[in-house]
Amino acid sequence: MQGVSAPREQPAPVISTSSTILNMREKEKYIEDFEFPFCDESSKYEKVAKIGQGTFGEVFKARARNSSKKFVAMKKVLMDNEKEGFPITALREIKILQLLKHENVVNLIEICRTKATLHNKYRSTFYLVFDFCEHDLAGLLSNMNVKFSLGEIKKVMQQLLNGLYYIHSNKILHRDMKAANVLITKNGILKLADFGLARAFSVAKSGQVNKYTNRVVTLWYRPPELLLGDRNYGPPVDMWGAGCIMAEMWTRSPIMQGSTEQQQLILISQLCGSCTPDTWPGVEALDLYNKMELPKGQKRKVKERLKPYVKDPYGCDLLDKLLQLDPAKRYDADTALNHDFFWTDPMPCELANMLAQHTQSMFEYLAPPRRPGHLRHHHHVAGAAPKPPPAVQDSGYQDRVF
Amino acid sequence: MPYWYYDKKDLLTTPSSRDGITTEAENRYRKEGARFIIDTGSKMDLGYNTVATGVVYFHRFYMFHSFKTFPRYITACCCLFLAGKVEETPKKCKDIIKVAKSLLTEQKFASFGDDPKEEVMTLERILLQTIKFDLQVEHPYGYLLKYAKCLKGDKAKLQKMVQMAWTFVNDSLCTTLCLQWEPEVIAVALMFLAGKLSKFEVVDWNGRVPKHTAWWDMFVEDVTMELLEDICHQVLDLYSPQTQPPGAESPPGGAARALPKNDKRPSVTPPASVSPVAVNTNKPTVTPVKNGADIKLEPPKMDPMRFTYPAYPGLAPYPPVYSAPPPNIPPPPRLPIPTGPPPPLVYSEPPPSRFPP
Repeated sequence: MQGVSAPREQPAPVISTSSTILNMREKEKYIEDFEFPFCDESSKYEKVAKIGQGTFGEVFKARARNSSKKFVAMKKVLMDNEKEGFPITALREIKILQLLKHENVVNLIEICRTKATLHNKYRSTFYLVFDFCEHDLAGLLSNMNVKFSLGEIKKVMQQLLNGLYYIHSNKILHRDMKAANVLITKNGILKLADFGLARAFSVAKSGQVNKYTNRVVTLWYRPPELLLGDRNYGPPVDMWGAGCIMAEMWTRSPIMQGSTEQQQLILISQLCGSCTPDTWPGVEALDLYNKMELPKGQKRKVKERLKPYVKDPYGCDLLDKLLQLDPAKRYDADTALNHDFFWTDPMPCELANMLAQHTQSMFEYLAPPRRPGHLRHHHHVAGAAPKPPPAVQDSGYQDRVF
Repeated sequence: MPYWYYDKKDLLTTPSSRDGITTEAENRYRKEGARFIIDTGSKMDLGYNTVATGVVYFHRFYMFHSFKTFPRYITACCCLFLAGKVEETPKKCKDIIKVAKSLLTEQKFASFGDDPKEEVMTLERILLQTIKFDLQVEHPYGYLLKYAKCLKGDKAKLQKMVQMAWTFVNDSLCTTLCLQWEPEVIAVALMFLAGKLSKFEVVDWNGRVPKHTAWWDMFVEDVTMELLEDICHQVLDLYSPQTQPPGAESPPGGAARALPKNDKRPSVTPPASVSPVAVNTNKPTVTPVKNGADIKLEPPKMDPMRFTYPAYPGLAPYPPVYSAPPPNIPPPPRLPIPTGPPPPLVYSEPPPSRFPP
């Protein structure tokens, strides 16, 4: 009996080689004192404020103790309710963030830990440490004082599409595109954030289809193929979200705010027309196409209905291309970046000057809720044991994750 | 990112060796731990990638901790548990422990303590910090298949060679090769070995250019014959009899005096569990030579079973893709479809004008 938790009182069995291995108390001391050369203690940062509530934990703004100027965002890995140890979702996010290094993707600096002590039963808490970003797009859009010029909107969308082009080239799907997950630094650099739902994808080989969970993406930004039960989806799911976010740059609120999946599909049909095999070949093969009551005879009115807000004809045209029902017809990031919208006057222009007028950090989490009834779909992670809804539920606040 | 490759001299000054464990004993613990991960993983139908990732975590872990501090079998379980999640083939901790228990003697399982699951949970955090969350690990398998596709020659012979190399890669997990060389180099070396043993000589390959002296020049640089032979020997040593030095320490965390069955006569019969490879008790005659053409390697006497590695695919054209069981999708609630024109896009509720409140 030389295990870590060998009972202390019990006499050591005769076969024990207690001289060769540590007893429990020695082991605890060992764990407490071990300087993990690759994993710093979180005490090197000083928490300044709580700025968000993520899918698997809280997010804090913090300052590096050795430099008063360097701010970071620390995302706590919530493990209290995990029966299966370190959450697989957090492992995915870490793997993906380590892979992705791009100006328009949030940068993971390191992973920190709290010291293991008797107090925490020798179990450290972990934090993902990111470069700090002052704003998120949802927060900026909810503040009427923040006004984006057409050139600035172009810059936002150009950076967003650049980020998507990069992650899709690296065979990663974000799967949770929404304004709250688009961060913007005070210098006007956009960063895609929250890869908590992201996953690697492979191009399905003939005769072999992917089976991804379709319980992803916040409902209001969820594309029609996911709502119809597609499990062999790809980058177009993120492009739909990009379209929703783009429209939101003018409407300043999410354009389709369904409260159920079916209602979301109705809203989509009212904007983009009915889902039919004519406009969308193959839609009839999707699981829920025949199981759901779907609006029929709706005409596509994307340009017509968004024109009063968007005005710019190129912008309307790009939105029309991003909000395509048929994922095969939806523009990919590369094609979208080549659209005339980005190559006609006014050209994309830097955001730094405009943002300089707003010194207060703007996070959706800190803003009053824009609208009641926001639902983030609680997804079940494929392959993981079914679990109850996370213990930490945001109340009134929208999920906001780095 | 940390650098995970070590010189041979670094491998002699590990935490275990500083803790008084001989190199021979440490290597045996590493081998047993790796073997145990392979056996547990195979029994649970985990793929070779997951198993190999778990083994690499295991070897890396003991570059920072001693086998005296952390008994090897529970560490092995923890590595497999984490690898399952990282490679998207998660297994429940309690199921891994159940299988582990079935594979270990009662005495060895005693090292798991009173609450094995809690032990694994605590250990997982230590493991993650030790490996710096460097979760993604590459293995030689993929390179092996990639390289094989470029080689020309008799198809059946090539197939046989690849299959043999695949088995060598499996077995190489029981060595510290993954702490010494990149997976590309290991793949090349073990294909070289398998080629020699199966008498498959590569004379031509796709993508050959005049400056190439061997097919692997296309894929790896500065790989000398000495290096290839050194790698081959490290694997071949697994199949040779081992002499346990007198007074060698008993494995910590395991049975102290009562040697496990497999280790009873280590000097004569290598443990059968080392490999499904039938073991040749005579060390194959490998003469290190400068010139590869002169190398004389006799294949170890092989059991016909050699190339049927139960839970591992002999030679999968592609690694099996993990597909999660479909989630239970409840039918969506039905709403009446409103008739008439759609409501206009109105964003009636103006966003707050002042921020923050």
